[in-house]
Amino acid sequence: MASQMAESPAGTEPVLRRAVDGPVGQWVGLAVRLALAAVWGWAGLAKIADPAEAAQAVRAYEILPESLVKPVGYGLPFLEVALALLLVIGLGVRAVAVVSAVLLLTFIGGISSAWARGISIDCGCFGGGGAVDVSKTEYLQEILRDCGFLLLAAWLLLRPRTRLSADAWLTA
Amino acid sequence: MSEKNREGKRSARERMLEERAADEARAKRNKKLGVGGVVAAVAAVAVVAGVVVQNQRSKPETPAAAPLGAIGDKKLMIPSGAANAPSVLTVYEDPRCPACGAFERSFAPTIDRLEDQGKLYVNYHIVSFIDRSLGGKGSKNGANALACAQDAGHFRDLHDVFYRNQPAETSDSFANKATLIKLSKQVNGLDTPAFESCVNDNKYGGWVSAVQQDFDKSSYKSTPTVLLNGTPVYPKNGDEPITAENLVKWVDAANQGKPLGTTGSGNESPAPTTTASEPNTPPSP
Repeated sequence: MASQMAESPAGTEPVLRRAVDGPVGQWVGLAVRLALAAVWGWAGLAKIADPAEAAQAVRAYEILPESLVKPVGYGLPFLEVALALLLVIGLGVRAVAVVSAVLLLTFIGGISSAWARGISIDCGCFGGGGAVDVSKTEYLQEILRDCGFLLLAAWLLLRPRTRLSADAWLTA
Repeated sequence: MSEKNREGKRSARERMLEERAADEARAKRNKKLGVGGVVAAVAAVAVVAGVVVQNQRSKPETPAAAPLGAIGDKKLMIPSGAANAPSVLTVYEDPRCPACGAFERSFAPTIDRLEDQGKLYVNYHIVSFIDRSLGGKGSKNGANALACAQDAGHFRDLHDVFYRNQPAETSDSFANKATLIKLSKQVNGLDTPAFESCVNDNKYGGWVSAVQQDFDKSSYKSTPTVLLNGTPVYPKNGDEPITAENLVKWVDAANQGKPLGTTGSGNESPAPTTTASEPNTPPSP
């Protein structure tokens, strides 16, 4: 593929470029935007029902001091839902992508840290959380999943212009 | 002159164009900053709103109401056996946890006997975290029903019945209050209207949450957690595995030379009071 591109820079590359930059790219951007919105919406809503559960999911990482456990456990799900809403209407997509990427990197860091320290927890990414049996930890899957979400955020960071967005409407 | 004039005209036009371009760039930048500001504001408002709303929604760590005879500074433990027995067994159990079921089916007869002999005072923490990991309400409803049974003086009996009839971890049949009430009929004298309304109205829901929050903050991470006089004995006490014989042996060793507790006075059965307020029932149509 790479060699092919090198051989015919006038052939493959513009097709790829058109897909990313052209009108098709903006439709892809819309799909990416809505996918990331679904991720944040799901993650946030799943953590809102039981505040004590959300707090315990944070506490289980054994990273934050007790005084920050509840503020983070209570506030984070609402932040996630807010990001989801902003993504749905497409307002400030690049800024939301930056916040998303920072959050995801934080999560990946937290999960890696738990893994490295040998404590056994559920990441609590989509509700649940807290200590689990050693045999039930899924750190690698959780990190890979978050990396996938990070790719969505990266796309929007680099190509924030998407179809059917408040951003497009504002600049029109 | 004409040359100079033309130059002046052109530079004026250029200046105008430049200014317009600069204006447009500034407007665009302002718009971007404005959008960024809106995003930051929305995020900040969401976090603050979340903290405020969830603070209000969360149940207090010190429960407003606890079952009769509950002990501890926040009244989060249910005692069983003689309070002056020389040894204390502290048990953290979730009604839905299969390992707790296995523990109870193996050790409940021994523990009950040690209690009745005045050798052991058992403090139960009825936690409810399986509902979080598997979803459902069986832990919480089961724990509430046990609190209701404590009110009626039948905690130990219902506790033993629940664990003998524990469903598989993933089938959340304890979530069904009718199932809990049906099981309570196996305990003589427990199934009264007061007990049923206590179960159906989730009377001790706040207490159940407080017990779980206390467990969250403890250093214990799984159930059953079993401590004999503060030392973990499940699944092992040092190198010795817990068995019925070993448990009796450890208790006897700890109790050596100490007087036994006073038993036989219905120590775990607070007399049901007539003043116990009943939750409001909606008027029938």
